[in-house]
Amino acid sequence: MNREAAPRAGEPPVLRAPETVMRLERLGANHQTRLSFMRALLRRLKAEGWRVTRPVWEIDAKGVGRAVYVAEGPTRSYGLVAFAHDLPDDERTDRVIAEAWDATFALFDGVPTAADLDRMAANVPLQEAGRCAPSELVLSRANRSVRLFAHVVDRLARGLQPERAELEKVGYLMRTTAVYGNGKFGIADRERIADRPEFAGPFRAEMLAVWLIRAFTVDLAEHAARMLAPGTAVRLDPDLRRRLGVGNSTGLGMAPFLVNHPALLHRWLLAKETALARVRAVEHAAPEAAETFPRLVGRARRTVGEWRVADARYAGRIARLEDDLARLSSWLEAGALDGPYPFDRLYRRAEEALSIEAQELLVSLLLEPHGGLVDDLAETMSADEEAPARIDGRMSLADLRRLIEDRYAWALGVDYAKAEAQARFWYVSAEKLEPRLGERGRESGHELEQPLAVGRDVAALRRALGGAAGTESVAAFLLRHPEHRHVVRRVQLHATHPYAEIQGNLIDAGLVPLDLLRCKLAFFGASKFDPRSDRWLRITMYQDAPYPDELDRLPADDWCWTPAG
Amino acid sequence: MSALSLNETEALARKAARGAGLPWGLAEETGKAVRWLALRRLPSLALLADHLEANDGRAYAALAPEDEAGVWRAPSGRLCPLVVGCALLDRRHDLAGGRTVETGPVAHPLLLLPAVARAVDEAPLGLAWEGVELWVGPEGLFVAGDALTAAASPWSRCGPAPAGPPSARSLPVGDGPVPVDEATLARLAALALRTCVPASEASRKGAGAASGDND
Repeated sequence: MNREAAPRAGEPPVLRAPETVMRLERLGANHQTRLSFMRALLRRLKAEGWRVTRPVWEIDAKGVGRAVYVAEGPTRSYGLVAFAHDLPDDERTDRVIAEAWDATFALFDGVPTAADLDRMAANVPLQEAGRCAPSELVLSRANRSVRLFAHVVDRLARGLQPERAELEKVGYLMRTTAVYGNGKFGIADRERIADRPEFAGPFRAEMLAVWLIRAFTVDLAEHAARMLAPGTAVRLDPDLRRRLGVGNSTGLGMAPFLVNHPALLHRWLLAKETALARVRAVEHAAPEAAETFPRLVGRARRTVGEWRVADARYAGRIARLEDDLARLSSWLEAGALDGPYPFDRLYRRAEEALSIEAQELLVSLLLEPHGGLVDDLAETMSADEEAPARIDGRMSLADLRRLIEDRYAWALGVDYAKAEAQARFWYVSAEKLEPRLGERGRESGHELEQPLAVGRDVAALRRALGGAAGTESVAAFLLRHPEHRHVVRRVQLHATHPYAEIQGNLIDAGLVPLDLLRCKLAFFGASKFDPRSDRWLRITMYQDAPYPDELDRLPADDWCWTPAG
Repeated sequence: MSALSLNETEALARKAARGAGLPWGLAEETGKAVRWLALRRLPSLALLADHLEANDGRAYAALAPEDEAGVWRAPSGRLCPLVVGCALLDRRHDLAGGRTVETGPVAHPLLLLPAVARAVDEAPLGLAWEGVELWVGPEGLFVAGDALTAAASPWSRCGPAPAGPPSARSLPVGDGPVPVDEATLARLAALALRTCVPASEASRKGAGAASGDND
């Protein structure tokens, strides 16, 4: 084992190279970590003693009506407003083109009045077709997991608990199919909440809404059971209940985000990589970490054992991951944590012997017993996106060329003349403005391609610079060649944000869009990635996490690896 | 009358600018510019709609300065303020260092202002066109004159500001939704729609799950 390069205590930690971290294959192997947004949120809610109440529950015997959950923190309160609907099966689709849902939600800034609720009742159920106000921070909707919801209601109504195996197989009663924030459809712009400590991190308001939605899904099922059989119905056992998270179903709509927010992407990856580097720089494992780590790997093996997917390729990946985790356990039994820099050695060994999927899972596990060392990084994952958006027009074309050659080798090495290198194109459909991926040559609309083919466009910029005088300024060049402006900005940003760019060809025939979706969702804290095509993903959120009514007596952050059964 | 969030305002402006033929990079800057104006309750979306419609179908080269030495002029006779604004922003170090850029006729000169404001780091900049003088610095934005929303000006000038804010009215920063009338919304939406691929059954099919959602 090469230990010369191991970071020593007091030395700046060595970060993994962007060329390694930012490859699509590895981004698409990300797992939730301590820094994930839902985990950071629950830690804060617990530390600050947030309380959740349910002041409104007006749901009828058919399961139709409204409910309000109020989360009250030290200085502010937020109300999740839930509308429950009676949705015919033939209208249930998770696609963005849906027009009705089993339930619709808004997260309200404060405690909504009856008038607020009436206004929202006329708009929130319409989702994209309605109009929200800046007092709403999040807009969302969810569909039932039809069979499990029916099973749970049926069993509870008969005074029985649901079958544990049935419940664990799905893991949620409802799937959200969109969680909108930041000014969409009239809701508040991010600026309104960005300076509030509880929402300073990315997607915190959305994660709060989803956590409250999870509580609603269980309350709704218990309510339905009570309405069916008031004499016999029982409530869901708390331990079984905790096994229910809330699902999410997502398509390509999420994919452009990571490309369109390069400075933010950099902050997310930099935080994760810094955390890993800090752990690898630990010279001697703390006794508690050394003791808990093998148990943690055992829990992770249970989590992976429960990770069931329909997709054959993913099933193969997970099978390999199970084998790899078994090897990891055997290394630990053989004393892998003895000696100096144990976590660094473990990571290096994994890099040589295990799949990328397992390597990234190990990264999550390495952070796990080191909260005191890394949790502060969760507060560094927001970005000022305005300052780096300004192009530095003084830069010479020679310097711009050097920057491209240094940082974009992955993009310059592709032969874009080959059909497979430009096989796809990203576009926005007029239908509900859904982002989609087309097949160039086979589908119409490629002339309306979105600017997501960063690699190809940077290569085109490099070619355009070929003949230009090296001393000319970027400002002068862009005045003549405005078509390169969007990539010049990215290239310049890369100089100070090395994790800003996904290092892969996003229009290649071999692109797996799932990789983009999974990367973003892992940073949210999602688990059990369950592909339903190469561009459609189901996930589980908050499985095993405390419910609002038990956050005060359960640990806030010990739920992401399946507890011993 | 509708009200848009700032995020919606920026997105609509960006898409409309792209739909009207601006390259992506300029369309992005246009989104930021219109958001900046809207935040300050200055004419924003309606002004953009007027401008994009007036230049619809014209080539970039006809609207951009032919030569940056001397007074900037467009071959079409009237410069595009979105193009000139980006050029000024890209030259912010020159402007801070004392350079003054003078132009010939320019359309909708208020659309120059956001880029000039974004170009300010520490040293304030001055921006002027016929009937308007603006002082843009870290202390805020001050304006003298009433021709803010002129459809065109025979000239404009941008360079280091005279010392100290002028004794003119200052423009505050607002917040909350951006009011916009339905006609403006429809005009910009029509331009923005040009960036979208029409719905088709084949396109719809490929985008979802391979299995159903009723499970």
